[in-house]
Amino acid sequence: MPRLLPHVSSPGGVLAVAGAALLAYAALYASPYELRVLTVAGVYALAAIGFQIVFGLAGALSLAQGAFFGIGAYVTGILGSRYGLPFPVTFPLSLLLPFVLAVLVGLPVLRLESHYFALATLGIAQVVLLLAVNLPDLTGGANGLAGVPGIAAFGVEVPRGRPLAAAVWAAVAAGGLLAWWMARGRWGRALTLVRDDPLAAATLGLDVGRLRLAAFTVSALYGGAAGALAVHTQRVVSPEVLEFPVMVSVLTIAIVGGRGRVAGAILGAVLLLHLPEWFRFLEQSYLVVYGAALLLAIVVAPYGLTGVLERLLPPPAAVPVPPRAWAERERPAGTVLCVEGLSKAFGGVRAVDGVTLSLEAGRVTGLIGPNGSGKTTLINLVSGLERPDGGRVVLNGREVTGWRADRLARAGIARTFQTASLPAGTVLDAVTAARLDRDGSIAAAQAHAGHALERVGALHLGPRDGAALPAALRRRVELARALAREPAVLLLDEPAAGLTDDEKADLAARIAAVAAGGVAVLVVEHDMDFLLPLVDRVVCLDGGRVLAQGAPAAVAADPAVIAAYLGDAPS
Amino acid sequence: MRRSLAFLLLTGIISAGPARAETLNMPVLVPLTGFLSLEGTSQRNGAVLALRGAQPPGVTVATDVVDTGTSPEAAVTALERALGRGTTVAVAASMLGTQMLAMLPLAADYKVPLVTVSGTASITEQGNPWVFRFFPGDAVTKEAHARYVVEELGKRRPAVIYQTTAYGQSGRAHLAERFRALGAEVVYEEGVDPAARDLLPVLSKALAARPDVLVLHLHSGPTALFLRQAAAHGVEVPIVAGSAMHQPSTAALLDPAEMKGVCAETAASPVSGGSPEMDRFTADYRAAFGTEPDAFALGQYDGTRMVLDAIARGARTAEAVRAALADGTHEGLAMTYRSDGTGNMAHSAVIVCYDGTSRVPQVVRRYDALSGSTR
Amino acid sequence: MLALQLLLNGIALGAAYALVALGFVLVLNATGAVNFAQGDLVMAGGILAAALAPLLPVPGLLLLPLVLALMAGLGLLLSLAAYLPLRHRPPVAVFISTIAVGIMLQNGVTVLFGPEPRAAPPLLGGGTLDLAGLVVPEQSLAIVAVAALLIGGQQWVFGRTQLGRRLRATAQDPEMARACGVPVTAMVMATFALAAAYAGAAGLLLANQFFVTPTAGGDLILKAYIAVTIGGWGSVPGAVAGALLIALFEVGVSSVLSYPVALGALYVTLLAILVFRPQGLFGEVARRRA
Repeated sequence: MPRLLPHVSSPGGVLAVAGAALLAYAALYASPYELRVLTVAGVYALAAIGFQIVFGLAGALSLAQGAFFGIGAYVTGILGSRYGLPFPVTFPLSLLLPFVLAVLVGLPVLRLESHYFALATLGIAQVVLLLAVNLPDLTGGANGLAGVPGIAAFGVEVPRGRPLAAAVWAAVAAGGLLAWWMARGRWGRALTLVRDDPLAAATLGLDVGRLRLAAFTVSALYGGAAGALAVHTQRVVSPEVLEFPVMVSVLTIAIVGGRGRVAGAILGAVLLLHLPEWFRFLEQSYLVVYGAALLLAIVVAPYGLTGVLERLLPPPAAVPVPPRAWAERERPAGTVLCVEGLSKAFGGVRAVDGVTLSLEAGRVTGLIGPNGSGKTTLINLVSGLERPDGGRVVLNGREVTGWRADRLARAGIARTFQTASLPAGTVLDAVTAARLDRDGSIAAAQAHAGHALERVGALHLGPRDGAALPAALRRRVELARALAREPAVLLLDEPAAGLTDDEKADLAARIAAVAAGGVAVLVVEHDMDFLLPLVDRVVCLDGGRVLAQGAPAAVAADPAVIAAYLGDAPS
Repeated sequence: MRRSLAFLLLTGIISAGPARAETLNMPVLVPLTGFLSLEGTSQRNGAVLALRGAQPPGVTVATDVVDTGTSPEAAVTALERALGRGTTVAVAASMLGTQMLAMLPLAADYKVPLVTVSGTASITEQGNPWVFRFFPGDAVTKEAHARYVVEELGKRRPAVIYQTTAYGQSGRAHLAERFRALGAEVVYEEGVDPAARDLLPVLSKALAARPDVLVLHLHSGPTALFLRQAAAHGVEVPIVAGSAMHQPSTAALLDPAEMKGVCAETAASPVSGGSPEMDRFTADYRAAFGTEPDAFALGQYDGTRMVLDAIARGARTAEAVRAALADGTHEGLAMTYRSDGTGNMAHSAVIVCYDGTSRVPQVVRRYDALSGSTR
Repeated sequence: MLALQLLLNGIALGAAYALVALGFVLVLNATGAVNFAQGDLVMAGGILAAALAPLLPVPGLLLLPLVLALMAGLGLLLSLAAYLPLRHRPPVAVFISTIAVGIMLQNGVTVLFGPEPRAAPPLLGGGTLDLAGLVVPEQSLAIVAVAALLIGGQQWVFGRTQLGRRLRATAQDPEMARACGVPVTAMVMATFALAAAYAGAAGLLLANQFFVTPTAGGDLILKAYIAVTIGGWGSVPGAVAGALLIALFEVGVSSVLSYPVALGALYVTLLAILVFRPQGLFGEVARRRA
């Protein structure tokens, strides 16, 4: 395609042109009816932008967005019609109440896994609806309240039609810009990692609970604002604003528009609010056609309208940021991590049973043992993904037993996973995520991520899709991600699995170099030919207990170790 | 359904036809989808039947049926859409109270009368001169309801079971007020969600309060459900139901024996007949839509006919139609309509009872000139 | 006596809900996707039974196989239109596509059959039995019997037959199942057909005692969702138990408290279960990686 107007050919440019065209149409030609549909579309766009943050970015399927919308609507409705309070008072309160509710209910329910979280939020929405219907003295009951004033502030009234549409869309623009700015920064990236891989996010120092709570409360603010504007538009408030169809509309808008995209929320709202209007002439059948159109949209454009735009007009590739090394820190020598009598049982099975070991700076320790002997559980305990039942973990002289994963990560523990999965997106982005809590800007985090990739010989992989890499390369990128944490303790879970002999030799050299920089390294591995030459010490677990530990040769020759694990055949 | 579609095409042809006839619009904006689709469809049919009848000379009154769903937002959008086309002299508007409340300010802005059968009391209490209700409001129907229970049946201990919807809560408030005024003690009252499936819990609790009459104010399906469970459990206490009972679709769900002795309030019961005009309406309605008419259809029919009469007498603008509705009197099929000054056109209600052999009830008592006021 | 009567009603209602939830769980297990049209499928089954009744004046028991077959066909269509094109997409895409199908079903039924509430014919007879003062509608017994038969039959098919093994294999790991020669696409379609057939049975049973309107699906899908979550995501016995629990609230708790309060109590209990026992009452076998 010839690029006549380079700026217009990018999705952003197309959206800007489309927005300007829509604006011109609204300002010059639209009838009162068209303006009203556009206004309502703006209201839903605002609610959907908030939903994009909690659902699109943070990946939590919150079914409470409709409830936040409804609460915002009721606050404005009740205060406006019963007490005659003006917009400058009711609008902030319409944001505040959903926000407070989100904080209160978010704390217990955000821990829940996906569908449980969805249902919990749905339950909250249903309770709010029941209250609205059954507290007629406050809410007007099922009849709702009429006579809500329009938007008026400081002596200026906003009449319906063009001014109201402009006011609502101004709010959409402001909210959209704010959300876009938040989404593209460090916070937005942290949320996407929380969505794609919450475990990895925690081990990279991100407080998953706090991030999710923040996303949830921000979405509540948007929901409340949209609800308030909805009531100013329709001038009555009734339980319909709290009913499930509102939630379904917001969800549908987000998906059809493009999950996680601010532009998607706006495009989706404009399309979905107009779609039924186009089929009005069909009288009763119009919703059948609407359903069919919706089905078609989701089948034809599963990544939403923004997905279609991006496929038609791929955004220009990002300019690579040159790698930059971080300032190396002085590392204390000697014992960095001490594990004493650590225990963990699942049901009746003692996965780890009184393990004691220590890791020293600059040394590589090997952890071996048969499958199910507790190696991975030990790493999970030390990195905070599991809470120990007993024993102590001491890091740099500080007791850290039972700390959460993100706190341990910030204290200097980094790890890789046996499965070595990377989220969708570029390798550089995946490694950049490891620097989000340290660097002040995305650019700095990217430069440092480049440095980490360079150190494992994977800088050239930067622009590639991490999820699509072969396992061996994924392991290498995961190692870079762990290194980008500048850890004091590095825990590697079977880093050599599936590598060729050459790759193993390369990996061993890189691990040795990391250790030489003063990091205490623990390597879980089955391949003795790879492990024994690399490590300074070996710990052998069996049935959750330490069977033997000491110099590699001594442990390998230990009869108990041979009987339990190594077997007769030399490996 | 096919017939009504053909009719729509027909109106399209008529309205596009002779150029010399002036075309006025009377759009029909009613809930055709969602939980009120049954009543909304009756409204639609009533309005459409009236508009299909004799047209005023020299004028073509075209219509456009738009679904308002159940949200106020959709109703307002539909109204704004309808008012943007041609000369609209009146609107047949949703019977859902919240939708009416949302449409009223807009109707006042555009100066176009809304003709509805919504029972929600507050729609005529807004001081809005553009609303005309061709169905007795809740205050009126509940006066007839309560007076029949107390004065005719001589009951003093009613148990009230209502729906937790706009219809139910509004009716419940008026029943409570009216019973208090009549000196009857409501011994039990409870709201029931329309989605509730088993009504035995509420039935047994109501009976435990030892009422001498069960007063229902439920939608169509729940009314039938309640009566069926009451019949299965051999409940002896008489039952006087709300207007949903008179809807033929409610009776269709039950065996005639299950309805034996049950009475209900309503504005009218077209299927019960009573006059040749009413019988003709019922026959036309059946022929046109293949279903039985109810009081909502009749009320909307009467209201629409009053608008058409006004046009026939020369009203060509929305303001002229409003004036005719506000000041005129209309001999409708259900009753005589005349505004009380706030847009309440209907002041009569009837009590119908089922004899246990037929699904068609008999009108047993007629209340006229009800004020709906307890003072 | 009243308590016994309420218990009986609650069990009958719970059995019907269990059939609704079962169809939901089947699709969930086979595809990992939430079929949001399940409630509307139940509604469609009920309306279908009510519409067929005047044409075929036979007891519901004889109507049931026909409804099951027609609904199974609808299930196949559903899988073709709303699942197969989206099978490699995130599950939430199927969530939306089935919402779209639900909208089409609900409004298509209104257009075709009208908005009136309808009653399906009783399975055997519409009468009631008097058992020591207990009023037992024959239909209640029929509901419990049919539900028990279908649930038992499903357990037998899944546990004992080649088809069941293939369905389970598909549910557990579609990739692995395909590698082992299981025709995964056919199995997924069969699951949708089965789920829709269950919906048809539930619809026919519910629509006799409790009637059916085109808008009934929304409430049913909510109940199914809750039942499945309470019972443990994907657990069949859990879904049945969850359905019974919901019915117990609707019938039992509402006989002590008012209906809205009982409904509120159900949601509060649900939230408490989620907060204090986030894996559901019967547990979910989901280990995290690493």
